[in-house]
Amino acid sequence: MMISLLAVSAFANGSKEKSTTATGPNFGVNATGIVHFWARSATSSVARAMVKEFNATHPNLQVKLTETQAGQAVTKLATALRGGSPPDVIGLNDINMPIFTRKAQFMDLTEQVNALSFKSALSPGHLNLAKYQDKYYGVPYLADLSMLFYNKALFRKAGLDPNTPPSTFAEMLSDAQAVQKIAGQDQYGFSFAGNCQGCLGFTMLPDLWAVKDHLIDGPIGNQTANIAGNKALEQLLTVYKDVWQQHLAPQADQTQNGSTWGKDFLAGNIGVFPAGFFVVAGNSKGSTLARSDIGAAPLPGPNGGYSTFDGGDDFAIPVGAQNASGAWEFIKFVLQKQQQLEYPGLGFTPIRTDILDSTFLKEHPFDAVVLRALKNGYAPPTTAYNSLFNQPNGPWFAMFRQAVYQGDVAGAMKTGQSGFVHVLQQSGS
Amino acid sequence: MSGRGVSDAVHSARRPHRSPRSIAGARAGWLLSAPAILFVGAFVVFPLCFAVYISLTNWPLIGSYHFIGIRNYIYLFQDSTFGQTVLFTLEYTAIVTVPILLVGYGLALLVRANRPGAVIFRTIFFLPYVVGLPTESYMLLLELQPDSGAINFLLSRLGIASQSTAWLIHSNLALIAVSVLVVWFASGLTMVLLMAGMQGIPRELYESTQIDGASWWDQEWNVTIPLLRGTIALSLIISIIGSFLAFTQFYILTQGGPGTSTDTVVMWIYQVGFVQLHLGEATAMSIVLMIVVGLISMVQFISLRAGQEQGT
Repeated sequence: MMISLLAVSAFANGSKEKSTTATGPNFGVNATGIVHFWARSATSSVARAMVKEFNATHPNLQVKLTETQAGQAVTKLATALRGGSPPDVIGLNDINMPIFTRKAQFMDLTEQVNALSFKSALSPGHLNLAKYQDKYYGVPYLADLSMLFYNKALFRKAGLDPNTPPSTFAEMLSDAQAVQKIAGQDQYGFSFAGNCQGCLGFTMLPDLWAVKDHLIDGPIGNQTANIAGNKALEQLLTVYKDVWQQHLAPQADQTQNGSTWGKDFLAGNIGVFPAGFFVVAGNSKGSTLARSDIGAAPLPGPNGGYSTFDGGDDFAIPVGAQNASGAWEFIKFVLQKQQQLEYPGLGFTPIRTDILDSTFLKEHPFDAVVLRALKNGYAPPTTAYNSLFNQPNGPWFAMFRQAVYQGDVAGAMKTGQSGFVHVLQQSGS
Repeated sequence: MSGRGVSDAVHSARRPHRSPRSIAGARAGWLLSAPAILFVGAFVVFPLCFAVYISLTNWPLIGSYHFIGIRNYIYLFQDSTFGQTVLFTLEYTAIVTVPILLVGYGLALLVRANRPGAVIFRTIFFLPYVVGLPTESYMLLLELQPDSGAINFLLSRLGIASQSTAWLIHSNLALIAVSVLVVWFASGLTMVLLMAGMQGIPRELYESTQIDGASWWDQEWNVTIPLLRGTIALSLIISIIGSFLAFTQFYILTQGGPGTSTDTVVMWIYQVGFVQLHLGEATAMSIVLMIVVGLISMVQFISLRAGQEQGT
């Protein structure tokens, strides 16, 4: 069965001449027909809303939505490209963009992106992931950003200023310790998803990016690992090691795989909580913690600075798309301010910083925090991200486990360096 | 008689005469078999041949490829992770195979007789197989959660484990949990196979041994088990092949972790093919796995045939 699956995935090459560059004044204007749009099921709330609104206002151009299940988008798209039947537009997890841009599988949209009047307001991190050799092969679609939450009620009880979130590693640890001193039953100073490697990357890597520290250096095709001797990483792993060894986090965090991530915090039981906007999206249904007691801030660097993980999706038009012009018309529609303003209600963050005004700040205070951090946001352009950070047997998670649960930070970083190098070499990244 | 005539006579004597009816019958047989042959050719033989070709290239999921000969196969023997997954798969197979057979045999003993209620029990014991491993794996994932799962709740009340035992993040505990799940899942099928075999054994054999004063155990050991040899071998083959190809339960419950300690061969193939996007390498591993499973099955069939010939 596996042999047949591998053979089918590899088989069939499209033989038609395919346009690789989007050009012409009429591109994306008054297109007609059907646009096949693939979106991730994880971000389907936005996809469904946008498709519904577009179809209601464009009778001659209809979008047909297909949702791809978790972990299947890359394989499904690659198979479709090989089979010569890709969708017209895809909302791809932005960290997967380099896999395709490097192999010239997406249309060159440089002319179109540069012509956008709001290009300078687009998320630089998302745009960077869509860029390869100075050309744009995609455009930001939606943002799923990481941030730091804290419980203002517990802060007040611990004698901390509820309006001053931790802004350094030392403050994260000391605030967690202070909360732990006054914690009641089942309350803790800190929490993390200790068995969710992707969640850990989502919330810890921005702590390094805040000081422009990257674990992967160099251009795609010639990347190296920056683990050994990385002081900021050593400090970060030490913070988490101390949190664990001082019992500042629940024991259950060691098995937290992300499925119930955030429930403890919303129940009012956690002091400091690095997580993502999703925690407070949807008005935090079922939350015991009052919204007025939820504090939010960008993720801090070792001694200041901040960043956020530019998670989310980019739009791309695959080479061989049947209705590329219609696809770009749909993309432009979604990027409009009116549509972007709907994102917070759908559980995500817009990718345009120019919509951040006093009204947005009042209506969506938490989203405003990460939207402000977007200009410092980042996600590493590499073809090896999944293998490095998102696999339970990947080097990132192995390093975290050894450093935090076994308390061996130095050994973990040594293991991490060789693990990262091995994976980068294997992936050709 | 000329030499040619002698030669013709000898040639005719060697080649049996085929009647027009038998030739027509053979032709009809070929025609009737043609759809199945075409189906197997299109969906088994062709993909297999193409897969062999892919394994000789550096075929990525995306982009162009080059022929690299047997380099993928050479790399396999240098890939320590592949070796580790093979050893783990063998360990897992060794752990679950005998319990599946013994539990299945025990259940078959319970339900083989057509007593009142036997049908209900057969259904209950076979139900795990029908419900399916993916569903049961997700159920177990929830029930194994520390502090909230039913398993820790029960075991802590019995004093066997603590309420917060984290089963799935420790290699040995995870292997125990998965093994128990698979034995529960697969023993139903073994039960059905063995029960069918048991019901095919003539009652007169048991009656004659009873007359000779044989005990229940004597009957099982000297009548049932020898006559069930073929069915037992079939159950073992199915169980071993299933264990070698284990993927679902580990993917859902442990994802191969912690680290790669519960990574099976098929999980590693999936990782190399669909996460690292190295289809050529993954296909080479699949071909090697197919050959290994084929060899094991062949050895089992040969042993079975040898055993049957000895018995006759």
